[in-house]
Amino acid sequence: MFKVSYFMEVLPVIASKVNVTFELTIAATIFALLVGVVIAVIGYYKVPVLSQLTRVYVSVMRGTPVVAQLYFFYYGIALYSNFVKNMTPLVAVAVVMSLNMGAFMSESIRGALLSVDEGQKEAAYSLGMTNLQLVVRIIIPQAVRIALPPLFNDVINLIKMTSLAFMIGVPDIMGAAKIEGAKTFRYFEIYAAVMLIYWIIVFILGIVHKFLEKKCASMY
Amino acid sequence: MMEKEKQLVKIEHLYKEFDSDTKVLKDINLTINKNEVIAILGPSGTGKSTLLRCLNYLTEPTSGVISISDVTVDAAHHTKKEILELRKHSSMVFQSYNLFKNKTALENVMEALTQVQKKPKAEAEKIALELLGKVGMLERKDFYPSKLSGGQQQRVGIARALAVNPNVLLFDEPTSALDPELVGEVLNTIKKLAEEGTTMILVTHEVGFAREVATRVLFMDGGQIAADGTPEEIIDHPENPRIRQFLNFVNRK
Repeated sequence: MFKVSYFMEVLPVIASKVNVTFELTIAATIFALLVGVVIAVIGYYKVPVLSQLTRVYVSVMRGTPVVAQLYFFYYGIALYSNFVKNMTPLVAVAVVMSLNMGAFMSESIRGALLSVDEGQKEAAYSLGMTNLQLVVRIIIPQAVRIALPPLFNDVINLIKMTSLAFMIGVPDIMGAAKIEGAKTFRYFEIYAAVMLIYWIIVFILGIVHKFLEKKCASMY
Repeated sequence: MMEKEKQLVKIEHLYKEFDSDTKVLKDINLTINKNEVIAILGPSGTGKSTLLRCLNYLTEPTSGVISISDVTVDAAHHTKKEILELRKHSSMVFQSYNLFKNKTALENVMEALTQVQKKPKAEAEKIALELLGKVGMLERKDFYPSKLSGGQQQRVGIARALAVNPNVLLFDEPTSALDPELVGEVLNTIKKLAEEGTTMILVTHEVGFAREVATRVLFMDGGQIAADGTPEEIIDHPENPRIRQFLNFVNRK
């Protein structure tokens, strides 16, 4: 049966690996945002050739499982690229997470850019504003407000995605659980602890997300 | 020489084709003097708005030359810089207001003052407050557009257009999107400007209003200026059967 004392004992052991989860999430968020912004801007301005390429890229990233992407990158591409072969698992996971989530984020960002109506752009032009002034002063402030809630949701998804890191040997929460499991075979308590830790993190961020959503909606 | 000085807007051989089958403007030639209030009337789809939008290159003409004050832009070889200059000589009031949603009424009016004219903030604010007072929106200066009615938004739109101190003010059906009970407040604002001698070009469906404020009326039909005259000539005593037909139709509505 569920042993509370063991659960309480294993919980801090597993939770001690939470720093790996946060490191991965923060790194992946930054680079995914970069990837997302670049792809979104290419799509927004319909840059020839590049916009077609990014569309295929986004479709592949969204249409295939992350695990497959991770294995393809870490084991597949490593066969032909020393650069990838020499990567530590942690870096490799961060790269795949960024590339994957960047595709999702690009859609949120592109949608937000498109949400600024043509009329406001015409108004800016009619007053003699330059394209740069229009983008910096009118489009971006409005797009940020639209994009922020879905982007934050993507960050929450990144946290859960970090659990994949363990599949190529990164000693994160899942890795610690595996080690504990090999010692005690008390998988019931161990994975209950794992889920509780993820759930608490996501729950707290979920509250922030709600707040952000409300704040953004009522800003103007 | 006197005549030349009064001349503010000049349009020469202006054509606009969206493709070879849709010729929206066909050889428009027009001179507008300072202090004139021009109303452009005509059935839908005859190029009224397109003509207005060509004046600030929101719509790029296919060919023709447009001059406002000392800026001349030839569609055949125009630069970005020329268009920017041209736009600084006019400003536009839109059918759907098009206020900047992330800015308050006051910030909307200040935007071009600080960004385009590079005025210091305090001076821009002073001008903006004055103009908001003029359009009766001073009390709501800190409201975002989403918290204003259509008529209020349009009055802010007018203040924003006035802020850049344009040579000519362009109105693109400024009351068409408004509920009937809100049309009056906007028309009154425009009327006030007309009385002050602001040079304006109005594309409108409000024939009665055009009759009242315009000093000159253009009737457009099929991408051309079919009639050009005083409100009395065009609205009260129309000779052109197309105008009579149009006026009858509008009056019956």
